[in-house]
Amino acid sequence: MKNKVRVLRMERNLAQGQLADAMGVSRQTINSIENDRYTPSLPLAIALARYFGVAVEEMFDDQDL
Amino acid sequence: MIRICSRQITRSKWFLPGFFLFGGLVVFGALWIGGHPGTGAVSLALMAGSGLLILLAGRSETIRGLRGDGRDERFAQIDLRATAAAGSVLILALIAAWLTQIASGHTGRPYDWLLAVAGVAYILAVTFFRWRG
Repeated sequence: MKNKVRVLRMERNLAQGQLADAMGVSRQTINSIENDRYTPSLPLAIALARYFGVAVEEMFDDQDL
Repeated sequence: MIRICSRQITRSKWFLPGFFLFGGLVVFGALWIGGHPGTGAVSLALMAGSGLLILLAGRSETIRGLRGDGRDERFAQIDLRATAAAGSVLILALIAAWLTQIASGHTGRPYDWLLAVAGVAYILAVTFFRWRG
């Protein structure tokens, strides 16, 4: 699933590790999400959206579902 | 609460090394009861050594995931898929062994009942998770 996690993270000058620590997941998980290799669970997707202050549907694109 | 506690335990870097040590002690006890304390001591040393190796191993995601301290929801999914793959390989090996046994004129024991256990366990798991899900 396409997403804007990398764009939002870069806008805030955050490293993958910093975002991972904030979300309680590994840096590799953030990397996998950013590269569309892993679709996060609903709780993690909501946590990411809240962290960046956007709606979940703004962050994740469901067009390829 | 129980789920949070169990998650904290499995996310500790001591989880897998501790599991190895516990397994080694169980094997040691079983071999001791069976009259082979020497073999049991070797097994315990091997398993405790493996646990120690994992505890002191590097910080790669695979090691940390296996050890417990690198576990998150993605690794839990990886773990689930790996478990399913290992189970499938095991069942295929059991089928091959069972077919080899019956083709060579044997009864197929113990592979027949092991396959039956696998089948029943799968059906019970599907029923349970359908009911829970």
